[in-house]
Amino acid sequence: MAEHPPHPTDALQDAIDGHLDTVARAALDLHLAACPACRRELDALSWVKQQVREHAGDAAPVSADLQAAILRALDAEDRGTADVRSPQPSGHRGVPARWWIGGLTAAAAVVAVVWFGTRLGDPTVPAQVAAAFREYAAGSLTLDLRTADPAALEAQLRTAGLAFSTRVFDFGMMDYRLTGGGVHQVAGRSSAMFAYDGPAALRLLCQMYEATLEDLPPPAEQRSNDGIEFLVYREGDVTIVFWQEGSVVCVLAANGSAEAAIRLAFAKAVRA
Amino acid sequence: MPFAPMLFRTARRIAARPDDASDIVQETFLRAYRTFANFQDGTNAKAWLFTIMYSIVSNQWRADRRAPVEVPVDELEGRFGAALSAGQPDAEQVMLARLDASPEVDRALRDLPDTQRAAVLMVDVEELTYEEAAAVLDCPVGTVRSRLARGRKQLFVTLADYARRTNAVRGR
Repeated sequence: MAEHPPHPTDALQDAIDGHLDTVARAALDLHLAACPACRRELDALSWVKQQVREHAGDAAPVSADLQAAILRALDAEDRGTADVRSPQPSGHRGVPARWWIGGLTAAAAVVAVVWFGTRLGDPTVPAQVAAAFREYAAGSLTLDLRTADPAALEAQLRTAGLAFSTRVFDFGMMDYRLTGGGVHQVAGRSSAMFAYDGPAALRLLCQMYEATLEDLPPPAEQRSNDGIEFLVYREGDVTIVFWQEGSVVCVLAANGSAEAAIRLAFAKAVRA
Repeated sequence: MPFAPMLFRTARRIAARPDDASDIVQETFLRAYRTFANFQDGTNAKAWLFTIMYSIVSNQWRADRRAPVEVPVDELEGRFGAALSAGQPDAEQVMLARLDASPEVDRALRDLPDTQRAAVLMVDVEELTYEEAAAVLDCPVGTVRSRLARGRKQLFVTLADYARRTNAVRGR
């Protein structure tokens, strides 16, 4: 009876999870070419991973009640009270805790900056938007829904309890492909977020949230196009462009040419 | 609210009682806020939040005296092998099938032992590395790997059977 080589079960698992380097992958491929049992196991377990990711990786809508309860709990913590479930005093706004929530959206290293920065009263909204952009560009930003379909993202956002209607921008003509989005946080407020990949390493992150441009710090540059005012900021290599649509502020953050980012904003802004 | 949807979806599936998910998410944010000084600059904030959440959930498991109900390894390997065996001609079709059955996936996950379900969710859904998952689940990397392997095999047995029994299989 012919001896079978031992089945590389650990390597199969590493392959499924993308943890094999080139050499190990080549060795596994060599084994797979001669071992139908391992091929079937690899296919089966990859299928399981796909099913779990597809069906259990859905965005879970978080109710407005739960969000309010979390903010009440953090506000109570700010006040040093023990009863975190008591009704919220009318008009109370625990700014530090809410800024902290916003800070959590940024990359781990940036969280500390935003956290301590907010404690000192110096977090700018453009800096928050840039931090979220960098997190997206680094692949570490959580998207509630990964999709290339604007309609699917809009449907998802309709269930998210946002107080304003959203419009997922289509940048297809500019070679930017929608990758997903969800609910995010800007200036302590819930925002609708849309993420895009462009050619090469170009990335684009857009958000909409209820506010006015008057809340923003003085811009590096102000532009006007088709009767709409645009506030332009630079944070390192990231260009951030804000504009107003009714009660909603739209913001676009992009790397690459600043002028190209501004043109993207011009293309999608709508006069309210 | 950032991270809340991610924490909520996992809390619903990992908790002993899905109805506790809201309280678990709220408690996670509160503990994170209180212990932010413990957060290590430059590390994964998502994994840090999951570590806090898992601590809350595993305490609940202990309070509920939930003992892991695991299928013996030999029995699991037998079931997995049978599901893959050549005696089942539609096995490849099953693998190609796209299940239109999120509730069935949820049930299959719920049937896993708690620690296996947690490992599968952290790696397959939340996309943590083995090392990050080990930190979250407070166990060695090797334990994460073995829980993941057993969990996925058990899920295959359950889901493949479901796919065969329904119209999810192509051609039926």
